Amino acid sequence: MPMTPDLASMRPQNPSLYRLAADGRSLDFLFAQCSACGSLSFPANAPGCMHCGAPADQAEPVTRPGGGTLLEYVTLHVALAPGMPAPSIAGDIRIADQVVEEGVIAVADEAALRPGMAMQAVAVPLPSGEVYACQFVPATVGELP
Amino acid sequence: MSEHWIDGHQGVYVVGIGLHPYQFPSDTPYTQLGLVAVRAALADAGLAWKQVQSAYVGTTSIGMAAGRVMFRHLGSTGLAVTQVENASASGSFAFRQACMEVAHGISDVVLAMGVDKHGDGRRAANKDGLERLSPTATIPAVKFALMARSYLRERGAGSAAMAQVAVKNHGNAARNPYAQFRKPRTLEQVLASPKVAGDLTVQQCCPRGEGAAAVLLVSGRALARLGLDARRCVRVRASVATSERDEQRYGDGPVELVGSSARLAMAQAGISPTQLDLLELHDAFSVEELLYSEAIGVCAPGEGAAYLERGDSQIGGRCAINASGGLIGMGHPLGPTGIGQIAEIVRQIRGEAQGRQQPNARWGMAHMIGLGSVAIAHVLSAAQA
Repeated sequence: MPMTPDLASMRPQNPSLYRLAADGRSLDFLFAQCSACGSLSFPANAPGCMHCGAPADQAEPVTRPGGGTLLEYVTLHVALAPGMPAPSIAGDIRIADQVVEEGVIAVADEAALRPGMAMQAVAVPLPSGEVYACQFVPATVGELP
Repeated sequence: MSEHWIDGHQGVYVVGIGLHPYQFPSDTPYTQLGLVAVRAALADAGLAWKQVQSAYVGTTSIGMAAGRVMFRHLGSTGLAVTQVENASASGSFAFRQACMEVAHGISDVVLAMGVDKHGDGRRAANKDGLERLSPTATIPAVKFALMARSYLRERGAGSAAMAQVAVKNHGNAARNPYAQFRKPRTLEQVLASPKVAGDLTVQQCCPRGEGAAAVLLVSGRALARLGLDARRCVRVRASVATSERDEQRYGDGPVELVGSSARLAMAQAGISPTQLDLLELHDAFSVEELLYSEAIGVCAPGEGAAYLERGDSQIGGRCAINASGGLIGMGHPLGPTGIGQIAEIVRQIRGEAQGRQQPNARWGMAHMIGLGSVAIAHVLSAAQA
C-alpha cells in the first residue's frame, strides 16, 4: 500500500472551486453569496449572480463544506473527456440550494449509489503527486477511495 | 385567424428544397457539399440564382465567411450574405432569419442553408474563464445519459423502451436517400451495440458527419409574379425561438425548454399538438424523442414510450416523428440539420417523400435545441391548410 499522501503539500487542480478542509482530506467549496438576493453562486468568480444576475462586485465569498445530495449518476463506458478514463462514474450533485454541478464519483460500482444520497467532496491526488482533484464519495464512507 | 408577424406580406412560403446527403467526414470541400444543395433547391423551385436577394448560411465548424467563398461559384450577384452559428440549431436559426426577412418585406426571395464539415467542437462554454468540478461538465452525451437514467427510473421503464426510438429512426433513415445511415437495426442490435454512457448504446447516439441542406423562401405577395406552382409551396405558420430558464425541479429544464417553445409555436400557428402529422425533433440521443414527444404534447406526459410502442410515431401513425430518420439515423452535421428538418417536412407535405410518405400530411413541426441551451420551433402546413 502506498503511504498516505500529504495532501496539504499539494495544490488544488481547480483553486477557484475548492481547497483542502481542516481535516486534511475533505474539501471546502468556495461560493459567492449575492448581497441582492442572498443566494449562493458557484464558482465564486462567476461574473454575475447565477440566480438574479446582480454584478459579482455585490457578492461576498463564502466557504462551505464540499458535498451535497446525489441526484443522478451514470457509468461512462468510453473516455469522453481528458482526465476521465473509462469506466468511471459521473453524477449530478446539488451542492447548494439551486446549485447543481456534475461531479466525478469515486466508487468502484454504481451499486454503491442511490439518488438522494448525501455525498462528500474529498481530495484525490493525481498521478503527478503535486496536485489533488475533487471527487465525491458517499458521506457515510469515512476512508479515502 | 389572428395575424402574426410570420403572416406579413401575404406569408412566407418554402418553394424549393435541396440536400447533399449527410455522410461520414470526408476530404470533400464544404463548397462542393453546399453547392449541390443550393443548386438542387434552385432547380426544385424553378428559380435562378440571380433572383435570390439574400442568403443565410448556418454553420458551426467551417470558419469565418463561409458564404461568399461558396456562392461566388454560382455568380457574384451582389446578394446579402449572412452567417449564422447556434450550435445544433444553426440551420434552424438561419431559417428563422430568412423567415423574418421575407415576412417583414425586406426581400421576396431568400435562401436559408446549412453546410458543415466535422470540426473540432470548440465551444464558448470552455472559454468562459470558469473552472468546473468535472471534466465532463460540458459534454452532451453525459448530460443526456443522466437524463435518460432519470427518465427510465421515473417511468419504471427498461432501456429497451428508449432503444426503440433508435430502431424506428434507423428504419426511417434506411428509406431516406439523404440519410447518413441506410441500414435498418433490430432492437437486439441497438441494445447490443457498444455502450457509451449510462444506458445509451452507440446506435442510440447521433453520428458525427458532414453534409448540406438548402431551402428557398418566397413571400406570398411574390408567388404569382415568380410563376411558382402553389401546390408545391409549403407555408411557414409559426417561428419561435427561446432559451433556457432556471429549473424549478431537477431535470425539468430541457422538458420546459422544449415544451414552452413548442406551445408558443402552436399558438402562433393556431393548432393543437394532436393536429401535427409530422414532427422532426432533436433526437441526438434516443431518450430525447420520448421526453420531447411528451413535452410537445403529441402524447400525454409519461406516454412517450407507449406512444412509440403503439406505432403512433411511425410513418403511417398518428404523427410521424423523425420520418427523415432524425439525428440518430439521418445524421447531425450541425449546420445543415435544422434545414434538413424543414426540407423533410416540405417534401412530406407535398406528398413527394417516396418510400417514406406519411399519408395525408398537412401539418408539421421542426423543433431543435442547441447548446446553451436554446430552442427553436417552426410550424409548416400545406398552402391551403
